[in-house]
Amino acid sequence: MIARRGADRRLLRMALPKGSLYDGSVALLRDAGLDVTGLEDPGRQLTVRAGGVEYIIGKPTDIPVYVAYGGVDVAIAGKDVVLEADLEIAELVDLGFGACRFVVAEPQDAQHTVAELYRHLGVIRVATKYPRITDAHYASRGLQVELVKLSGNIELAPLIGLADQIVDITATGRTLAENRLRIVEDVLASTARFVANPVSLKTDSQRITALAAAMAAASEEKGPQQ
Amino acid sequence: MQPALPRGFRDVLLDEAREREWVVSTVTALFSAWGYDPVETPIVEEYRTLEAGVGAGLEETAFRLFDLDGSMLALRPEMTVPIARVVASRLAGTPGPHRIRYASQVFREHASLRGQARQFTQIGVELIGAPGPAADVEMVVLLLGALEAAGLRSFLVGMGTADVLRALLDRAGGPQQWRDAAVAAAQSRNLVELDRLATRQDLLPEVARALREIPRVSGGREALERCRELADPCGCAGSLESLAQTWEVLEELGVTASVQLDFGIMRSFAYYTGLQLEAYAPGLGLPLAGGGRYDGVLSVYGRPAPAAGFALGLERVMIALAEQDATPALEPLDAVLGGERTAEVFRAAARLRESGWRVRVASGVTGLALVREADSRGAAEALVADEGRIRRLDRAGEPATALGTPLPAAPRFTWAVRGGDVE
Repeated sequence: MIARRGADRRLLRMALPKGSLYDGSVALLRDAGLDVTGLEDPGRQLTVRAGGVEYIIGKPTDIPVYVAYGGVDVAIAGKDVVLEADLEIAELVDLGFGACRFVVAEPQDAQHTVAELYRHLGVIRVATKYPRITDAHYASRGLQVELVKLSGNIELAPLIGLADQIVDITATGRTLAENRLRIVEDVLASTARFVANPVSLKTDSQRITALAAAMAAASEEKGPQQ
Repeated sequence: MQPALPRGFRDVLLDEAREREWVVSTVTALFSAWGYDPVETPIVEEYRTLEAGVGAGLEETAFRLFDLDGSMLALRPEMTVPIARVVASRLAGTPGPHRIRYASQVFREHASLRGQARQFTQIGVELIGAPGPAADVEMVVLLLGALEAAGLRSFLVGMGTADVLRALLDRAGGPQQWRDAAVAAAQSRNLVELDRLATRQDLLPEVARALREIPRVSGGREALERCRELADPCGCAGSLESLAQTWEVLEELGVTASVQLDFGIMRSFAYYTGLQLEAYAPGLGLPLAGGGRYDGVLSVYGRPAPAAGFALGLERVMIALAEQDATPALEPLDAVLGGERTAEVFRAAARLRESGWRVRVASGVTGLALVREADSRGAAEALVADEGRIRRLDRAGEPATALGTPLPAAPRFTWAVRGGDVE
């Protein structure tokens, strides 16, 4: 698979993720000195042109696909979706914002501990939106799991008896607590990253490197944050 | 039943097949002019033979199968390792260097729903038994020539080296796990992870700095200088020497306009030992070609020898050509030749072909039907073989002028526009 976008490359194309990372992304671009006219309130618009950049506003999990196949040159994407996609992408800058962590959680009132279940049944049932990360995590622990991939509201899976544990991302842990789940283990931490298509990085290296430097400087100025 | 192909495989038909054939033949002709000779290897290899050469990466990419004896086989995922096998076995007694070319199908496994093909065509060369910058220069110049011969109007060749990172890691020391992580980060171009790994407490500050900075260095001669500045304090400047000498010669030859030094190139196959090459077309998100020096592979088969090579991905080259409006123009058909008597049609067709015509026979077809046939095939002329003469048909399908003797040159060489009207 390869994106076909013609040889006209005057505009650099950058994908931005809808949802929780969006506002932070626009703020960082502004701090990095980019023209963000039209980005603050794009409405239902999927593409915005400003200051020599064509912005593509996409679903977070699709952004690694856009980047790896060359549909866009660069993007802001959460480390979580980058890891889950497992595609060839150049990761240039840790932007520091959008921090969240992957955790393993289980019901607070679980009658049997998972260790006990595992001893008798030899397998744990795990629900997640991120099968690749989850699989790698349990494999590194040497645990046998049955993975159930769901598309959202992972907290429900233990409530309806579909899973013993879940692997999900959380920023504050509130949703988990509200659903009477407790965090038992950290899998990994994620922040927003500035990523690039490996070939764009070669053929358009000056613009992309300059952009990466500006964004690194802007994110450093802000310091670590939520 | 409804016939279907396995996912990721496809048929290549007619026009597309001819366009691909043209690119393959023109690039192959260039390789041949440089004295490279073809080698054909089986599409199936013993899995363990491939694994020894390709390394751990094979597990994810190999298209595996078992034969009736229970041997694990794999379809070749690339051509370098099979050719290294040939050189280490069949050609072991022949003096090198060996210059070998190929245009071959290769196979790679992919998970479903990624829209990836599982069969590709690679056009490439291997130069085995020749060490150092002279051989590396040959690879770069040949790659540039191949991209040009294929008809690409715009391209960029990136060249780097695996030596610098290797020297830095040797200098850095530390646990194997850290080293593996650094190699993996460099290969996946994960600069954030490299920065993190460079914060290891016991790392010398100059080594940490070089690890962070060098993968970001690219450009012309100044990139070389910059890399040297960073590597020198670590005692690693020597690892740059071969690349620097290669660059000198390329500059002397005046071919560096579309070549870029790039210390961020770290190709996925673990076997590269020196030069690393990639070629890009603007606007295409994946490299058109890749290669480099792999001095360690032959020793896996017990016959150590320096080696280098590269391959163009034909499918990607065709996409780049289409994007650059440079798809090869196909030679049109000169004529469809009809007539009542089959033997006469074949005899006339043979005469036309001798004069350089591309002719399709349509024995038994005449008149308007023949004109329509010629139109539908895009042929310049509708001709009939008629009592020892070859006559043109007019648009109405009536016999018009006869071709004179000697026969005129084929229309595709003389007509500015194909399908023009008969005089």
